[in-house]
Amino acid sequence: MDRREAVKSVAFLIGGALSATTIATLFDSCNTPGKNSSNLFTADQEKLVTEIADIIIPTTSKSPGAKAANVGPFITMMIKDCYPEEAQNAFVKGLEDIEERSKKDFGKSFLEISVKERQELITKVRDETIAAQKTEKDKIDQAAKLEQDTKGAKSEKEQPGNPMAVKDKPKTTPQFFAIARDLTMLGFFTSEIGATQAYEYIAIPGRYDGDVKMKPGQKVYA
Amino acid sequence: MNLNTKATAQNTYDAIVVGSGISGGWAAKELTEKGLKVLLLERGRNIEHIKDYTTAMKKPWEFEHRGKLTEEQKKTHPVQKRDYPYSEFNESFWVNDEECPYTEIKRFDWYRGFHVGGKSLMWGRQSYRLGDLNFEENAKDGHGADWPIRYKDIAPWYDYVEKFAGISGEAENFPHFMDGQYLPPMQMNIVEKTVKKRVEEHYKRSRIITMGRVANLTVEHGGRGSCQYRNLCSRGCPFGAYFSTQSSTMPAAVATGNLTLRPYSLVNEIIYDKESQKAKGVRIIDSETMEHHEYFAKIVFVNGSTLGSTFLLLNSTSAEHPNGLGNGSGELGHNLMDHHFRCGANGKAEGFEDKYTYGKRANGIYIPRYRNIGNDKRDYVRGFGFQGSASRGNWHDEIAELAFGGDFKDLISTPGNWTMGLGGFGETLPFHKNHVYIDKSKKDKWGQPVLAIDCEFGENEAKMRVDMMNDAAEMLEAAGLKDVKTFDNGSEPGMAIHEMGTARMGLDPKTSVLNKWNQMHEVKNVFVTDGSCMPSAACQNPSLTYMALTARAADFAVSELKKGNL
Repeated sequence: MDRREAVKSVAFLIGGALSATTIATLFDSCNTPGKNSSNLFTADQEKLVTEIADIIIPTTSKSPGAKAANVGPFITMMIKDCYPEEAQNAFVKGLEDIEERSKKDFGKSFLEISVKERQELITKVRDETIAAQKTEKDKIDQAAKLEQDTKGAKSEKEQPGNPMAVKDKPKTTPQFFAIARDLTMLGFFTSEIGATQAYEYIAIPGRYDGDVKMKPGQKVYA
Repeated sequence: MNLNTKATAQNTYDAIVVGSGISGGWAAKELTEKGLKVLLLERGRNIEHIKDYTTAMKKPWEFEHRGKLTEEQKKTHPVQKRDYPYSEFNESFWVNDEECPYTEIKRFDWYRGFHVGGKSLMWGRQSYRLGDLNFEENAKDGHGADWPIRYKDIAPWYDYVEKFAGISGEAENFPHFMDGQYLPPMQMNIVEKTVKKRVEEHYKRSRIITMGRVANLTVEHGGRGSCQYRNLCSRGCPFGAYFSTQSSTMPAAVATGNLTLRPYSLVNEIIYDKESQKAKGVRIIDSETMEHHEYFAKIVFVNGSTLGSTFLLLNSTSAEHPNGLGNGSGELGHNLMDHHFRCGANGKAEGFEDKYTYGKRANGIYIPRYRNIGNDKRDYVRGFGFQGSASRGNWHDEIAELAFGGDFKDLISTPGNWTMGLGGFGETLPFHKNHVYIDKSKKDKWGQPVLAIDCEFGENEAKMRVDMMNDAAEMLEAAGLKDVKTFDNGSEPGMAIHEMGTARMGLDPKTSVLNKWNQMHEVKNVFVTDGSCMPSAACQNPSLTYMALTARAADFAVSELKKGNL
């Protein structure tokens, strides 16, 4: 049960569902390893990451946000250390796109537009990401269905296969926004600020109580 | 012969134990406590209790990658990274796969840790007895070789190891689910309690849900502290609250004054003596310096993990044992088993919105086997148990896809849905064709040939998985859970890290490697008491059985030694 719990808790930690890119990064075996180059990002792009993270997880009346928790540098470090080349490139490309659009839509760098304008722009990127992921998923499902139909027509003998095999997740295109969101949530809720102020962190609970009455303002335990 | 008698005397002990994991630690404890001078050989580095659990007290933000693996780690650990156990949280407890390659004829996930304590530091700690249902099943349905023992032979030894190790759990008096010596059980949470009540009522207690029987202390025990509910066991416990070699058997062995521990000692060969027809010692490779040494003893306990021990025996060839030590039967390396798992069901529990939990319990619930018992007959043989748990996470139904922003952050900072999952652990059958052998086309870092593994699950396992999913869903639905969904994530041999069977016990030397005392039929002073000895896998987590068999074999070995039979 530790096994399932471990996987599940990671999923909960970063907000319910891991993006396909993150799952591929964590468990895939056929990626081109990322290049840990110190100059993957420009100085402005590093600032951009910090500001985007703070739109995803901003300061609220309840707790400080991603910028306060220093999530920006965490994200760029993670992209350099832990992501395959394809995802690294997609991430840099995503940053370039955002900057370009900011200039086109608002005539200024993302670093210079208002929070409201940033939210507007990120919302568009998010909606496009959802649409792109849906298109890709439909394609994969269709291909899988086609394969199923063709296979079904063949005899049992023609398709020897291990029914218990762990199937590789279908390869999906890494999406900038999905990666940025995953890493913002991971970085924030495991940061000292996120874990102790947004969540509640108790290093040594000392006991287990499986039937506690929720108190007003109850936080998730980090 | 030109013997350097002085050097030999310096390198001579009463007993040698190969491997310091769960069973090797027990062998060292039992043999030293019975007065033998014991040399405990461990291929990896030493890990000192508490002091060397370097990540145990780290806070989440003190891990640079927050538990995730770097591209560099994925590159050097192509096998270990296949599943979750290998992470930044206990990175140093897992092998570098590039140093110890093996050949996968078919996919086999081989998780290993080379250090004092072995996998006793990272194990799942679930501790269940086998019963006569299990010991008799090979004979009844004709798969594998009959177990040479029955429950009555091992029951006192289960008592013995449970009392020392400290297993928390609850006696249930449920058919074929053997009760033991338990510390107070951990607590179920409110959803688990409710599901238990409803399931047991629905099935009129022909199925039960009990608290996981786990080698975590719920009260102080034997000088060790009780569980602090951090759920960080696999980093090593600074409170000594779960059973490991370091927390439990090693201190007992050290206290006798009879133990010599030698880390960095990769045992490459058991040296066979033609005259006495016994093992006279072992040849080791110092895994740091690459030097070779020999050590001698009256008895050798082989506890190098199932496949580690099997490699050692296959690699110990002589004119008398050309196919591996004690392999006259030809069964050494065969009948490899693991459990199959990663399928079941989960659902949402409603009506508990005002309830939450405190503390992190490194344990869940257990549903013991009920299939193919009595009048229940399935289209497969053997059966499975379920492990599971309910918990309240931070996911809320109203969260939109890829949501972000302040309201989203505040919402997922509060407790969300209650969910409960059940995952089956199924028995696999012993088949001769599922085997390992030495592949001389590759070498490991220490110049040894490697193991080739050729193992696959079969039709019986695949059929069983249908029940594992549907039964889980049916029980959760009977308990009133909503949105119940089944899952089957696939299961490859090795993934459950319950590999066993490749040097099986049996009554007949023609079809088995070990006798009923875990003693080699053909080499009487060699005992193998890790998972390789298992004639069948049952569906229970196996480590407790290795402990009991080891203590039992050590008792027998010392009495034989005293009688002059070894």
